[in-house]
This record gives sequence, structure tokens and C-alpha cells, in this order.
Amino acid sequence: MSLKIQIIVAVVLIVALVAIINMVRKEALDIRFALSWLTVGVIVLFLDVFPSVMDWLVHLFGIELPVNMMFFFGFCFTLFLVFGLTIKVSRQSEQLKRLTQEVALLEKSLEDVKNNE
Amino acid sequence: MRKLIIIPAYNEQGGIEKTVQDVQKHAPDFDFVVINDCSTDNTLEICRKNQFPVVNLPVNLGIGGGVQTGYVYAYRNDYDIAVQFDGDGQHNAVYLKDMAEKLTGEHLDMVIGSRYIKKEGFQSTGLRRIGIKYFTWLIRLVTGQKIMDPTSGMRMVNRDVIEFYAKNYPKDYPEPESVVTILKKGKKVREIPVQMNAREEGISSISPKKSVYYMIKVSLAILIAALRR
Repeated sequence: MSLKIQIIVAVVLIVALVAIINMVRKEALDIRFALSWLTVGVIVLFLDVFPSVMDWLVHLFGIELPVNMMFFFGFCFTLFLVFGLTIKVSRQSEQLKRLTQEVALLEKSLEDVKNNE
Repeated sequence: MRKLIIIPAYNEQGGIEKTVQDVQKHAPDFDFVVINDCSTDNTLEICRKNQFPVVNLPVNLGIGGGVQTGYVYAYRNDYDIAVQFDGDGQHNAVYLKDMAEKLTGEHLDMVIGSRYIKKEGFQSTGLRRIGIKYFTWLIRLVTGQKIMDPTSGMRMVNRDVIEFYAKNYPKDYPEPESVVTILKKGKKVREIPVQMNAREEGISSISPKKSVYYMIKVSLAILIAALRR
């Protein structure tokens, strides 16, 4: 890996990390959801700064090219994250349904009370 | 004995008054409540004008969430019997009395108004009937019980099932799946012959495009419901 690309990757990652932290600071992003992104950003930055660690990992997993390892783990991470979001969406749609029902039923009982007065 | 008719309504401005008149005429000892599922037409205004009791959902939930709202309402207001009754004029209220008598007389948990026992009245269209027969077969496979009209939206339940449905009810295309869940709980379900009408107003929630999704989703839901204890 050339020093040039190392520097470019590091700059991009640092900008992204700062942007994420800034969004959390402004409460535009929930810290619970930012955590996984921050973690993966820090790991990639670490591998970028210490490429020898990457070579060691590639050897450990028996993968031919470092770039393949990046694709593979990147893909796994994305799947993991998307599935996590699917679970959250399911839970939230259930919560939203319950809230909607409660609001409607409350409105109805409020009307009933009014009509009885 | 407190009995409630749950009328789910989504954009039923053309049929809701007729439906309520039918109910008031033929099932006077039942209370009723319209569940307005965030209609975009004048369904709500028509209900308010006629002073129909209405639960107005602020967000569209679809048929499952809407009907479940009715069951929660029935549960909290101490109803002993609740029945689903479509707001589009497809169901006839004359059968409600018989359904209630069968439910209490035979100590059942659910009575379904079935189009396919006497095969009278509107029988749905060709492909749909094949789909319905397939669900009958699938439900028989996983529960051993023969339900001739598992997609019928006209179903009456006792307090046990009201409580269960208030807690658990499928979100979309709920009919076949919700029958399987209670059959698996050992509840007694029987059918009674009824005649239904072809839809006069509104459109079916199951378009041709959605029917493929419908078949797959409901099949999977039935199989998963069969795995539950």
C-alpha cells in the first residue's frame, strides 16, 4: 500500500469520524446508533496506520489479497448492520401501532366522558 | 351478555351508512363501533354527522392493526362477544344472531361466517377461490381442522379470544393466520353458512400484484403459527 493512499484513507476516515461525532453532539444522531459506525471507523483507521497488522490478519485467515479481506469484512459488517436495523424497524412498527391504537382509544373515551356530562 | 360489532373502515364513505343501518336493523341487541383507519375520504365526517360511535386512528395501520384496535376496545369495555363486520356492505347482519346463538349454545371460541358451506350468494372470483381452497388445505395440514372459508372477515369470538387478539393480532392479511393461532391454542372454531354480497363500494385490499405477496406471506405465517405452542 502506497503512503499516498494511506494518507488519503486516513484523511477521509478522520473527516467521517469527526462528522459522526459532530452529529451526535448536535443530537442529530443517536449515540447508540453511532457506536457501531465509530467502532468500524476506528478499526479501519488503525489498519490504515499499521498496515503490518493487516498483513498479519490476512495471513491468519488464509486470504490471498488484503483487499479481499477488506471487501469480505466490509460486506459482513454491512449485512450485520442492515439486519440490526430491520429488527429495530420491526420493533418500532409494533410500538407505533400500539401508540396509534392508544391515542385513538383515549380520544374515544374522552368523547364518551364529554357526551355523558 | 355484552356484544360488540367491530366495523373496520378505510375509505368507506359510500357504504358505511348502509352497513350501520343493516346492523341497527338486524342486530339491535349488539353495540357497534366503527374503526376509522385514517380514511382519506369523508368516512369520519359521515360517522360524526350520524353520531356513530367511532374510534379514529390518527395513522393508517392497515386491516390488522385496525381490527385489533376493536378487540382492545371490546376487552377494555368488558364485552363478552365481539364480531368483525366489514364496512363495505359485503356482510349481512341478519346472520349475527345465529352466530351468537351458535357461539354461546355450543360453547365455542369462534364462529366464522362461511360462504362455502351452502355455496350461496357471492362466491368470490375463480383464482381467489383456488387460493382459499389452498388455505383450507394448508390449515388442515397443520391443525387437522377443516375451515371452509379461512379468509372470511366475518367472525365472532368469545371473551377469551378477544383478550388474546387484543394482545396478538397479525398486521396484514390477518384472517387465515389468526384462525391458526387460536386453533393451535386448542380453541374451538366452527363455521356457519352465510351469504355475502359482491362489493358495492370501495376496492379490495388485495390487488393482483399484491396477491403473490399475500399467498407467500400468509403461507409462511401459517407455518410459523403452527410451530408456536
